[in-house]
Amino acid sequence: MNYSYQKKEALFAALAGVLYVISGTLHIVEGLGADTGFAALLFVQADILGGFCLAVIGMVFLYGLLEMRRGIKAGMSFAYVGILLSIIFMAVYLLIMGGNLLDSFIVPGDYEGWNIMESLRPGIYLGLLSLMAAFSWKGRFSSNGISVREEV
Amino acid sequence: MAEKIIVALAGNPNVGKTSIFNAITGSKQHVGNWPGVTVEKKMGKRVHSDVEMEVVDLPGTYSLTAYSLDEIVARDFIIEEKPDIVVQVVDGTNLERNLYLTTQLMELGVKLVIALNMSDLVLSKGVHIDEAKMQEYLEVPVVSTIGSTGNGIHGLLDTIIERSSDKRVYGNTFDYEEDIEVRAEELEMILEKDPYFAHYPSRWFSLKLLEGDENILRKARGSESYPKIKNVLDNLDPDSFESRIADQRYGTIQFMLRQVCDINTSHLSGSDMVDRVVTNKYLGIPIFLSLMWAAFEVTFTFATPFMNMIDIFFAWLGEVTVSLISTDWLSSLIGEGIIAGVGSVLIFLPNILLLFFMLSIMEDSGYISRAAFIMDRVMSRIGLHGKSFIPLIMGFGCNVPAIMATRTIEDSRDRLITILVTPFISCGARLPVYVLLAGAFFGRDAGVVIFSLYALGILVALLSAKLMRGTVLRGEDAPFIMELPEYRIPTLRSGIIHMWERGKIYLKKAGGIILLGVVGVWLLASIPVPGSGGQFASGDIYGTTSSLLGAIGMLIEPLVAPLGFDWRIAVALLFGVVAKEIVVGSMGVLYGAGTNEENLAGILAAGAMSPLVGLGLMVFVLLYVPCFACIGVIKRETGSWKWTLFQLFYGTGLAWGLAFLVYQTGSRIGLLS
Repeated sequence: MNYSYQKKEALFAALAGVLYVISGTLHIVEGLGADTGFAALLFVQADILGGFCLAVIGMVFLYGLLEMRRGIKAGMSFAYVGILLSIIFMAVYLLIMGGNLLDSFIVPGDYEGWNIMESLRPGIYLGLLSLMAAFSWKGRFSSNGISVREEV
Repeated sequence: MAEKIIVALAGNPNVGKTSIFNAITGSKQHVGNWPGVTVEKKMGKRVHSDVEMEVVDLPGTYSLTAYSLDEIVARDFIIEEKPDIVVQVVDGTNLERNLYLTTQLMELGVKLVIALNMSDLVLSKGVHIDEAKMQEYLEVPVVSTIGSTGNGIHGLLDTIIERSSDKRVYGNTFDYEEDIEVRAEELEMILEKDPYFAHYPSRWFSLKLLEGDENILRKARGSESYPKIKNVLDNLDPDSFESRIADQRYGTIQFMLRQVCDINTSHLSGSDMVDRVVTNKYLGIPIFLSLMWAAFEVTFTFATPFMNMIDIFFAWLGEVTVSLISTDWLSSLIGEGIIAGVGSVLIFLPNILLLFFMLSIMEDSGYISRAAFIMDRVMSRIGLHGKSFIPLIMGFGCNVPAIMATRTIEDSRDRLITILVTPFISCGARLPVYVLLAGAFFGRDAGVVIFSLYALGILVALLSAKLMRGTVLRGEDAPFIMELPEYRIPTLRSGIIHMWERGKIYLKKAGGIILLGVVGVWLLASIPVPGSGGQFASGDIYGTTSSLLGAIGMLIEPLVAPLGFDWRIAVALLFGVVAKEIVVGSMGVLYGAGTNEENLAGILAAGAMSPLVGLGLMVFVLLYVPCFACIGVIKRETGSWKWTLFQLFYGTGLAWGLAFLVYQTGSRIGLLS
């Protein structure tokens, strides 16, 4: 069996999975009213549902890691779909950021002192990590899919 | 003068018939990527090579056996209207199941053309189809198409014209086992002698009789030769014949596919990869919830600046208009009535457009079918199956087409339950109420509140279905068979068309029924109660309890007072039965949003309403009586006033109970007061 592809995906899934689960958990904990001390440093907001979404993305990566470690080549699907989901959520957070920026021009009082650092969210910078992975593996993202012949 | 022909587009659900229909006729009918988008036939026209074609898009059907309402619509059109050509749109990625319908269309003796659609996806799945061989086996013209891009449509139109002028009868028929053939021939002889059956192809009709098709048997019972038919059918088991006939059709199809298809079985396509994840036993539902949250978050947050732009415009318009009109009552009508009312509704246009754009992306990508699939486990616990979840999700857009979409559900009890619970799914018309109140009272958490209301709607629908299944509509669990279509990358064009179609409806409503509604509210709010001594539209009467509207409101206020609602909310809810957006419009008029410096949300947040009452009001609007259009479609689809009234009273009772719970519990524990 050739696992050269899988090693990279497994490593990425482990890294992204852990980062997403941690930042999702921090969002949830902050949302429950506790002060984690990471809010300012990691741009984490008190947001239970947003945190849940990030944790779900992390779980997708980690589930894929488990499958790949068991030698299931199709487990790579989880890494690819995790990347897709994290890019979707990065786009969502960017839209929210853009909306707030636009609103600060229309109703200046609402978002006075708006700046990019305050609008940054883990969903955006972690999404950039996935975006880089997507670019480096773009050849494998075509709808032609992958061959799973080794398993058959 | 151009020759005129009728072309029917038939095929399995979700094979791209509507895409082909749009590509041929230039229409902009909504295209979705899930089974059951088309539940009624749609018509369009096209002139090609001097031939005028009337194209009819039929609902998707897996066979010509009438299991569900949409299948009856499709079958009856082909048999009764006798189109000149039937184009069967075939999903090239799922030939075996699609060709089952082909065998029946061929037995029906129609002039058939096959549009082998989604040919791009066929290649991406590692499948090669030899069209020439397929054409040779079936003796039916086969044309490759890609409905979404319009590829192959010219070739298809040429073939339709060529085929329509060809008088010869084509199409192979299938030979069945000897005892089936003997019975079929006996029946054919009886049918051919009876003019009552002259309308029907005797071969097809006799096979349907052998299959025990209830609809066909009912037709046969009306004929004089029925005793003879009954004699042939008496000694056989229709279930066994039906399955043997189906087996032989599939056997023939599989034989042919081995000759014409080259399939790479060790290939995991992009669709397969995504499905491994989004339909995963543990991750499927959390992913679904996350995506829904993202859609509502964008709907609320990204729309805010655009809402503010519209708000600023109406504030300016109100000021300018009122300052230009010197007649008091006219100034009040335009400022406090029309601008305050219609303006309060139009502010939410960006939310509506964004919500429908996002739903369109989910539909077009094929994700909606997966949502139904993953929800099947939850649905089966309440006695329904995943197929019932599709109308529920469609209800996020509008409950009216969602209720019509229940036609794809075969079991009549399942269908009735789904119709009765669909109005609990929060439609786009209720969104303005949530955006207004959640925005006014919950600030940046408004997205979370709105998402929770949508989730509450689903929860109430599911629990109500469980309750009905266990009491008034008991029945057996139906098996769930649903195809998962290939994923497709949603096109911006389709998203914009869908968004614009819904936006247009919203604007038309704002300029029509909502305008009428708010003028009605203004009029009633301006007419003094006899004996009050006030004058029409004067400041001391308008919008007070001394107005006729105030009197009506005071009359119904005791009914809603335990929920914390005052007479103005009672009146807004009453008018909201016409169309849900009028709740916001009426509130705009009653709270004087058009003439006040603050917008309606600002007035409410400043103390006109408490956050707790706002929350209870959102829950009430989510569940109480649906709009007139929805009531009409419930009556039409259930065919019963009894069930329609049941839905209205059950929903309103539930709305009252939950809003009561919210208000009374919140008041007692001092939450959001």
